[in-house]
Amino acid sequence: MTPLNLTTAIFLFFTYAVGVIFIIGVVLRIYQYAATPQPVKIPLTPAPLTKGGAFARILGEVFFFKSLFKSNKPTWVFGYLFHISFFILIFLHFLRHFIYSNPLPWWYSIFVNIGIICGIVMVLSLFLLLMRRVVVERVKFISLFQDYLILILLMLIGLAGLSLNYVLTPAALTVVDNQLDPYMNGLLTFQFTNIPSNPLFLIHYTLVMLLILYIPFSKVMHFVGIFFSPTRIMADNPEEERYYKPNAKDLSI
Amino acid sequence: MAKSKDKYKVPVLDGKISIPRIVPGAFAYEHMIEAQKDDMEALDFPAKLQDGWKEKAIGVFKEILDHNKAVRDYMDICVRCGACTDKCQFFLGTADPNNMPVQRQELMRKVYRYYFTPAGFFKNLSNSQELTEEVLKDWYTYFWQCSECRRCSLYCPYGIDTAEITMAARQIMDSIGIGQKYTTEIIHKVFKIGNNIGIPPAALRNTLDDLEEEINEETGKDVKIPMDVEGAEVLLVPPSADFFAMPHMESLKGYAKVFHKSGISYTVSSYASEAGNFGKFIGSYKNTKEINKRIWDEAKRLKVKRVVIGECGHAWRAAYNYSNTMNGPFNFLDSRYKQPAHICDFTLGLVKDGVIKLDPSANDDKVVTFHDSCNVARGSRMGDVPGGQLTIPRELIKAAANHFVELREGTTKENTYCCGGGGGLLTEEVMNVRIAGAMPRMQTVKEAVDNHKVNYYALICAICKTQFTKIFPLYGFDAEMVGGIHQLVSNAIIM
Repeated sequence: MTPLNLTTAIFLFFTYAVGVIFIIGVVLRIYQYAATPQPVKIPLTPAPLTKGGAFARILGEVFFFKSLFKSNKPTWVFGYLFHISFFILIFLHFLRHFIYSNPLPWWYSIFVNIGIICGIVMVLSLFLLLMRRVVVERVKFISLFQDYLILILLMLIGLAGLSLNYVLTPAALTVVDNQLDPYMNGLLTFQFTNIPSNPLFLIHYTLVMLLILYIPFSKVMHFVGIFFSPTRIMADNPEEERYYKPNAKDLSI
Repeated sequence: MAKSKDKYKVPVLDGKISIPRIVPGAFAYEHMIEAQKDDMEALDFPAKLQDGWKEKAIGVFKEILDHNKAVRDYMDICVRCGACTDKCQFFLGTADPNNMPVQRQELMRKVYRYYFTPAGFFKNLSNSQELTEEVLKDWYTYFWQCSECRRCSLYCPYGIDTAEITMAARQIMDSIGIGQKYTTEIIHKVFKIGNNIGIPPAALRNTLDDLEEEINEETGKDVKIPMDVEGAEVLLVPPSADFFAMPHMESLKGYAKVFHKSGISYTVSSYASEAGNFGKFIGSYKNTKEINKRIWDEAKRLKVKRVVIGECGHAWRAAYNYSNTMNGPFNFLDSRYKQPAHICDFTLGLVKDGVIKLDPSANDDKVVTFHDSCNVARGSRMGDVPGGQLTIPRELIKAAANHFVELREGTTKENTYCCGGGGGLLTEEVMNVRIAGAMPRMQTVKEAVDNHKVNYYALICAICKTQFTKIFPLYGFDAEMVGGIHQLVSNAIIM
């Protein structure tokens, strides 16, 4: 086993710190949302009459952005393209880890090309979302620093990822790939190996870590919050089933 | 001081609902009259701003975050996608960016960031803001230009409900002594006299006698409107405007005729003579509960079997959604019926069962359209299926009148625009806000009048009725067009 270099040591520390902060941060948020009582029923009607129906309503929002579709078609298209391509990319990154072998399966280049297409779609849709914030007067007015920050961070992640495929020679990319698998395994099994030293890769990796670190403190928490949104998750049955939360103080409704 | 009519800013109608270019601060000058000392104290709030208000306000904010899931969740998860920015009638009417739902929320969210999140450390960069008197002034201006109609929540990908945030802001302001005269005065009146308008029992009886006489003159029938009768089958709780205001009283006559013909014994109450619940408008659980409790105390005292609520939007939302939570369970009432039930549901049931008969040709002089009231359409249900609150009133109108047309698609049912006077805005000093907020709806009314010769604007909300009676003439429509569904029923019922 080769001894670890300093870069790897720094990145290992960074990665674990980010992981711990992310997990604690998200779990705390989930706990906070789950534990806070909702004083009265406030489903936005017409609403499903059962808990199952209300959950299906949430899934409609999560998978199809139904309310956004009703309110703004361009935002829906750009937002949907971004979310879909982003999730496919996350999935492909995990999947790659399992199919990257020697020799490579014959369809590996197709697999990589799907990833590249998703990457391009993601960066383009992010660019369009950014343009919305700059061009549409109302959206520009409401946009805050953190709204631009997250879009630019995600775009940079996408661009850095794509550059690995376009800037590096196939041979250089293979070197990265060959180092990446044992490094990732090492993170889970604590059998550490050196992180790929290619600077483009390290930029991509660092930006991803920054994103994960930022998530618990940012509006990205909408992916958790939507499951607790009372206007959508509550069933419309206040007369049929008494709703009462003793820990909801006599304060605000 | 009341403004004269020519000082009002009334937009010219062109039938279009267009998105205005933003004009920052366009309606910053509109202010509510501050609450009076005895009203605030009657509601358990300090009379005015006192030393240490900032700590108190942040303390109440923290309490709300810890005890209100909606506010807790909604403070965090807005992504500022902008889907809501063109959905609020007050933004469409005023062009003031602080009336875009997301920006209204931002008034509170920036304070939330400052005190409750790490982003507060970055102050200007993250748009975090200390709670200053300047910020409070914005709160008082713009959280009193929201009618809590929840149209924005319908279009929000996360269902973020500005009404909940407005309520929380008003609760925080009340708790440090910054109240609004109109709502606090009315709640005080309910506690003291029993209803929003402040009609004492003897005067109420007189009014009811007059109405009985009117019905007798019109129909020749001896229709009674009983008050405080123990052992009646139904306790009828209308909004107090139904006893007193026009065109509301015409609907009360309709209820009376329905009960008379169906033979179901009923009573109104001088103690619970108000279905409305302004406690909800100021986001106060305690006051909402106290107001709501009067209905159920009275139901118990009068030994009725069921409770029916009259034509009133927010009253129905409060009665339907909050009653069971705040003052239930109602095992002393007849469990075969919905408790409470909406008068439209009640009447339509009787029509369908053939207990009462309507002759729709009695309303043949009318072309009727229906305005869905926000609190009914987006906040509550009638009947047994989702959306019953949208179909039941329409079915009842169609049973009572032959000519019915819908308002423009996309502005009805759950997509309805607020009348512009809900949520505690129905007061003279913000007349320009009310006029501006009604603008999108007025555009569709113009279309309905021009294209379909609509001459009857059916409503099931006391606030809508008052608002439109006032607003219609300003926009050049006849105030006589405005009326309740039970006014149609009153005309059509075969006595």
